[in-house]
Amino acid sequence: MSAHAQTESQATAESVADFLRRVRTGIEDGLDPVSAANRAADELPQRLGRAVELLSRRARGDYYEDEWGFDEEFAEAVHPLFEFLYDVWWRVEAEGVRNVPAHGRALLVSNHAGALFPFDASMILMSIMKQHPLPRWARFLVLDWAFVLPFISAFMRRVGGVPASKHNAARLLEQDELVMVFPEGAKGTGKQFTERYRLQRFGRGGFVEVALRTGSPIVPVAVVGSEEIYPKLADARPVARAIGAPFVPVTPTFPWLGPLGLIPLPSKWRIEFCDPIDLSGYGPDAAEDRRLLFDVSEQVRETVQSKLYENLVKRRAAFVSP
Amino acid sequence: MGRRVVIIGIATHWGAQLARRLERDPGIDYIAGIDSSAPPADLERTDFIEADIRSPLLSRLLPGTEADTIVHCGILWYAEAGKPERVLHDVNVIGTLQLLAACERTKTLERLVVRGSAAIYGCEGATPYFFTERMARTLPLRTRFQRDISELEAYIENFARRHSGVVCCTLRYQPEIGPDLDTPLVRYLQLPVVPTQLGWDPRLQLLHADDATGALEAATRSPVRGAVNVAPSGSISLSHILRLMRRPALPIPHPLFGPALERLGRQIGAGPLYGDGVRLLRFGRGVDNTRLTEEIGFAPRFDAEAAVRDFATMSRGRRIAPSIHPGDLVGRVVGAAR
Repeated sequence: MSAHAQTESQATAESVADFLRRVRTGIEDGLDPVSAANRAADELPQRLGRAVELLSRRARGDYYEDEWGFDEEFAEAVHPLFEFLYDVWWRVEAEGVRNVPAHGRALLVSNHAGALFPFDASMILMSIMKQHPLPRWARFLVLDWAFVLPFISAFMRRVGGVPASKHNAARLLEQDELVMVFPEGAKGTGKQFTERYRLQRFGRGGFVEVALRTGSPIVPVAVVGSEEIYPKLADARPVARAIGAPFVPVTPTFPWLGPLGLIPLPSKWRIEFCDPIDLSGYGPDAAEDRRLLFDVSEQVRETVQSKLYENLVKRRAAFVSP
Repeated sequence: MGRRVVIIGIATHWGAQLARRLERDPGIDYIAGIDSSAPPADLERTDFIEADIRSPLLSRLLPGTEADTIVHCGILWYAEAGKPERVLHDVNVIGTLQLLAACERTKTLERLVVRGSAAIYGCEGATPYFFTERMARTLPLRTRFQRDISELEAYIENFARRHSGVVCCTLRYQPEIGPDLDTPLVRYLQLPVVPTQLGWDPRLQLLHADDATGALEAATRSPVRGAVNVAPSGSISLSHILRLMRRPALPIPHPLFGPALERLGRQIGAGPLYGDGVRLLRFGRGVDNTRLTEEIGFAPRFDAEAAVRDFATMSRGRRIAPSIHPGDLVGRVVGAAR
């Protein structure tokens, strides 16, 4: 966490303690609890007052969520956690962020890794929010299975996740949103550690179909570092079958250390945004052309693969690089 | 010559609402209503014909009305007094079949409008967030109600294929809300403490009652062929709804939710949610209303959030004790501090 954010949270904690102290002195002065709280609230410093106001406004439901269930205020509230992961934990370096269009529709296509929780979408989003000259929120398509899980599904939706479906992607792009897809899907996240950074099959090229139909440019993205956060050594297949999951990874720490095993390893990350591929010349009818779909899909896949190798060399050591 | 309209299910809330609106229109010569029980007393020029939709008598009554427009409002979402759950299949599917048989004999028929349900799309975790009309039956049919709706829509499609002269329009309604509606979902939202499913926050589209009637009226006047989704624009999650309603939520682990709601429902009069409800309150469902706005030409006045806000203000008047909702409490403390 940045020094600024740290001092801010400290200050908030102090003012909460201050508030409680004032309530106590109020009660000791012989006031009833409610009027003691009132008097303490009267003496509250500005910042805490604002925080309380924000919370009460949210508790009254006076906030906006769009038709996808994306709640910008909520996404901003969880920002510091991801900022910490981005800056301190994974020391992410991003290159070519300017290749992301500042407005209008675009499809970001990236490799996918991180067996337990793939963090690549959130880190790509963070790099756009932190380093793009005109930061914007991006929506991401999430593996179907995550949306049949309690808590995770609700959380994903609020921060901009949408179930992976062609219809959802097309509708988002038609609304001129920035959409992230991970065409490898569960094959990418579920591969063994020994196969890291080897791209899997890019689905059936559905993402190209959507891009053609909506006339969106494709921006290939290569993410290095996500493979090491949960090195998948084995697959607990019977467990996976029992709970209906695509796979259940066994990592050096999970499930041996229990909940501690959920902490991702602090690898060094690099994210590179490649040059956009403009498909608007083909027109929407080209979406029917299977050969074109496979050609473009293969082109994107090769771009991402070669950038992965390039960035692996640039990164040098996986964990000790600063 | 004006139109002759017959409303099936005139005793239901929606049938009666539609009749009230159509009665004001001098362009409509004749309005009749068919149901097994009497309609509300305030209808002025609607002829009431007493008949059960499930009986073959319908085939003899309907041609005599010389109707050119038939509106089917007799599909039931929820069990009611006198119509327990096991009768719903009969009313919904067999009733529709009887109606279609009667329609075959009605030579004057030009339009058939059916008030159906968006439950045909089902509720799943990972789905398109906005179903269009063509996406029906792409997901497994899981509940009784969903199967019934799918079956009766298939009968209507079949009828439409064989009678190309008749415009058949099936309206797929999202659940409606309104302070004077007496449905389990409305009663559920008005519970003092609302049980929800732990970890789940469904995306819902609740249709404002005025828009529900308006869409039915618009479709009766200018129906289009095929299915049309009837839903507000946008969507809203259940947690947001409950905050706007100032109702504290009581999260219950989801395997226990169904039984808990049923037990609680019997005690405080919320009634069991028929089949679809528990899944709806876990996964939610959104549909695309482009066809309604562009082809039928009816734009809902309230979007998903505005419908809930209006419902919340309308039903807040019934509260007898001051709200203990945290949002109000904090607001009051902060207000007092000023």
